[in-house]
Amino acid sequence: MSAVAAMRRRTMPGPTTIALLAVFAVFVLLFVAGVGFGSTWIGLDTVTGVLLGGGERTDRLVVLQLRLPRVLAAAIAGGAIAYAGYLLQRITRNELASPGVLGVVDGAALGVVLFLAIFSNESNALIVPVAWQPLAAAIGAMTAIGLVFLLSGRQASSAIRLILFGIAIAAVAKALTTIFMLIGPIYQAAQAARWLAGAVNTINWVEVQIMLMVLVPVGIIAGIAARTLPPADLDDISSRSIGLNLPVYRIIMFLLAALLTAGAVAFAGGVGFVGLIAPHMARLLVGRGRVAGIVMSILLGAIILVGADLLIRVAFAPLEVPAGTVTAIIGAPYFLYLLMRKDNSNG
Amino acid sequence: MVEGMSGPVQADRSRWPVYVALALGLGVAMLASLTLGYKLYGLDEVWAALFAHDGSETATVIAGLRLPRALIAPLAGAALGMAGVMVQTLSRNRIASPDTLGLNAGASMAVVLAMVVFGVGSLAGLSLAAALGALMTSIIVFGVAAGAGGLSPLKIVLVGVTFAGLAHAVVEIVLTSNEAQLQQLLFWLSGAFVDRPISLFFNGLPVVLVGAALAFALTSALDALQADDSTAASLGVPLVAVRGLTFIAVSLLTGAAVSMAGPVAFVGLVVPHAARGLVGLRHRHQLAAAALVGAIYTTLADVAARFVIYPVEAPVGAVTAVVGAGTLVVLLMRRLA
Amino acid sequence: MDDQVANRIEVKALSLSYGPEMVLDALSLPIPSGQITVLAGPNGCGKSTLLRAIRRLHAPQSGQVLLDAEDICRLNGKALGRRIGLLAQSPSAPQDMTVEELVRLGRYPHQAMMQPWGAKDDAAVAEAMTGTGVEEMRHRRIGSLSGGQLQRAWIAMVLAQETDVICLDEPVNHLDMAHQLDCLELVTRLNKEQGRTIVLVLHDLNLAARYADQLVFVANGKVRERGTPETMMRSDLIEEVFNVTAEIIIDPVHKRPICIPHRRS
Repeated sequence: MSAVAAMRRRTMPGPTTIALLAVFAVFVLLFVAGVGFGSTWIGLDTVTGVLLGGGERTDRLVVLQLRLPRVLAAAIAGGAIAYAGYLLQRITRNELASPGVLGVVDGAALGVVLFLAIFSNESNALIVPVAWQPLAAAIGAMTAIGLVFLLSGRQASSAIRLILFGIAIAAVAKALTTIFMLIGPIYQAAQAARWLAGAVNTINWVEVQIMLMVLVPVGIIAGIAARTLPPADLDDISSRSIGLNLPVYRIIMFLLAALLTAGAVAFAGGVGFVGLIAPHMARLLVGRGRVAGIVMSILLGAIILVGADLLIRVAFAPLEVPAGTVTAIIGAPYFLYLLMRKDNSNG
Repeated sequence: MVEGMSGPVQADRSRWPVYVALALGLGVAMLASLTLGYKLYGLDEVWAALFAHDGSETATVIAGLRLPRALIAPLAGAALGMAGVMVQTLSRNRIASPDTLGLNAGASMAVVLAMVVFGVGSLAGLSLAAALGALMTSIIVFGVAAGAGGLSPLKIVLVGVTFAGLAHAVVEIVLTSNEAQLQQLLFWLSGAFVDRPISLFFNGLPVVLVGAALAFALTSALDALQADDSTAASLGVPLVAVRGLTFIAVSLLTGAAVSMAGPVAFVGLVVPHAARGLVGLRHRHQLAAAALVGAIYTTLADVAARFVIYPVEAPVGAVTAVVGAGTLVVLLMRRLA
Repeated sequence: MDDQVANRIEVKALSLSYGPEMVLDALSLPIPSGQITVLAGPNGCGKSTLLRAIRRLHAPQSGQVLLDAEDICRLNGKALGRRIGLLAQSPSAPQDMTVEELVRLGRYPHQAMMQPWGAKDDAAVAEAMTGTGVEEMRHRRIGSLSGGQLQRAWIAMVLAQETDVICLDEPVNHLDMAHQLDCLELVTRLNKEQGRTIVLVLHDLNLAARYADQLVFVANGKVRERGTPETMMRSDLIEEVFNVTAEIIIDPVHKRPICIPHRRS
């Protein structure tokens, strides 16, 4: 493409904006469908009525207490993980990087299992409110990340080595999780297993609010930090010569991505795959632009998770198959197929 | 510049003392497996139980419970050790292993699907499922990683981890919809030598032997494959054929190990490093040493698994994962990989 | 010019493309037996590809390569590996491999299921290591060697193959002057003392002129011209092929022509 044509493409609002608007429309549609669908179908007019403050009492109950939190949580978690995935893929210059490989998800799982193991009495009932579970997950996630950075030390600046440390920590966390699941009673194992695979069906409003309180600030900080992204595409030495301390910047980005992931995973369970697929599909739709890439990734992540949750309720009812599983099963083969078709290596 | 485990020079010495020491070590490990556990038995009791057939409780425990483990553990360890050597050579990557490339996960997914979805119950059927799962996974992972811009170490490990994640997701769906079998499946999924009938050993043995024979037939080609593709090709190595046959050998070995014991993590990662440190890079020696070291490693891990959360048995895969991951971290920190 | 000398290798109208791009265009070239042929040319002219095609690392779209009048496509990989050796441009091997383990790889084409390692192989390896002077380093890991030592180890590996034809793809690019000399003197010795046919790709035109018996200029996938260095090193030809204006003088030490490029043309 000639230089003039390339410039023209960037200044024209056309394809990218259209894609963004179209995807946003899809998201709204899915969101409404997600709130509407269930054991009783609640139509669009009823939903809007409830949201605006009116509506019948039963409708209000279903929409506000059951459906809305769940769908919102799925959207927020999906968006946050997709955001984290985008940052990771840009900073490691590799389309295959994903939040799942930093050991975050497995650390969170260990946190949940430990929480269940420690805070259950002999008759296998929780002695503290289950609302504390996400905190345990978040602590587990951050511990995992902390260990990864601590152990990798100076090597943290190399994407390959950092991810490998992540794989090692994830393996240890997974092993310990299995051990604790075995020590404990069966219900614990079942519940933990379900959480591990990613479930948003037990979310309530309080949790949604906490999610927003955590993720929105982090997201904004990440957005500011992401302004430095384009120069980060250079190699270490070249970027230092223009004043960017790449190793430090990388660590900051990894940390932000980890925080976003921990926040999402703590409430929604093991939905790491979304962070792998969404940024990649975003790039296919809107190209390498930074702002468009972030917004599109978030939208797509939200769509994927809301869509998966909806799909489960439609197709698998009454079985509560976890959302993360569905995204993995549909997303992973598609992703692998995409990899085979395009040569998209970038380091 | 690499600081190898024994410095810039490798001493020129015969390897026979190493092999003798390893063989003795294996014998000791197997004895430990027979004598140590929830109850401790003496050597004389073990001897009597194995050869006296007196139907006593001791005999039942030792012959019925301990003996299968004492046989399956080393066989699986040997198989995984050899598979690990070949995977690391094939991907020219010292952190590759049947686990990090998703082969274990693929094999166990195949077994779980075979058991739950297709109702396969026979041991032979499950072994076949495991081997096929490993083979399919290796083809997919290598195919995708090679297609996506070249076989770089990062790519292949990430593709492998992705695929392992997919396999785990499938397995987790099965888990959540089969809560009755949950405990049993869980145990399966992290690798264990306990509660396995001895028929699994006799089932797995021929598969391992075939895989090992194939591996040893490929040793000179594998040696040449350690160099870059152009060099290997100009030496006359038929790259595609050798890679294909190596996949088959790796799949047979991994499949046999998984069908005997489930996915025992990280054995194929750690053992090749130890083997190379002991006997060097020639595959005739790497494979032999890896088989012995792998056998010792899993047997000792199995003994340790009996005691870590005494009196409950931990899955041996959890023990090897902790040890293996710890070793991986050390390798990475000391830049040996 | 070379009618009396038998041609070890004959490249006949070889065409090769990577995708839509034609890299070799009906190229023909005789490689005389027992001589040093050097392929030279600007970047991207196809000289490396030609060398690799001679060793059958690439399959041509049309044309043939004949080895002793036999089409190389008829020979199986190992048989060809016993007759043509190639040192690739940036060879690599595990850093903890010892020199001896590396040289031993060269015996691969001689091994068969029924013929495992034997005394012949030991002898070939020993001779290759002594011939290149890496004997004392045999147990050192290649990661601990200097650039020059490493290159000699790789040449030893190719020597262990015991081939009559040895191809080397830019063997001295990354070496300092002293080691460049070492390497090329070694190659010359192999040619003069053992009569091996050598095909070299060299980037440095003056080195090419110094060591070649037959100097070949490759441009745009074709042989532009070939001949002795004396006939090839002409200002007009060099300007056409390499896009530089150059002055030609005679090197007082080796009595071979050298060129001094002084302006881009």
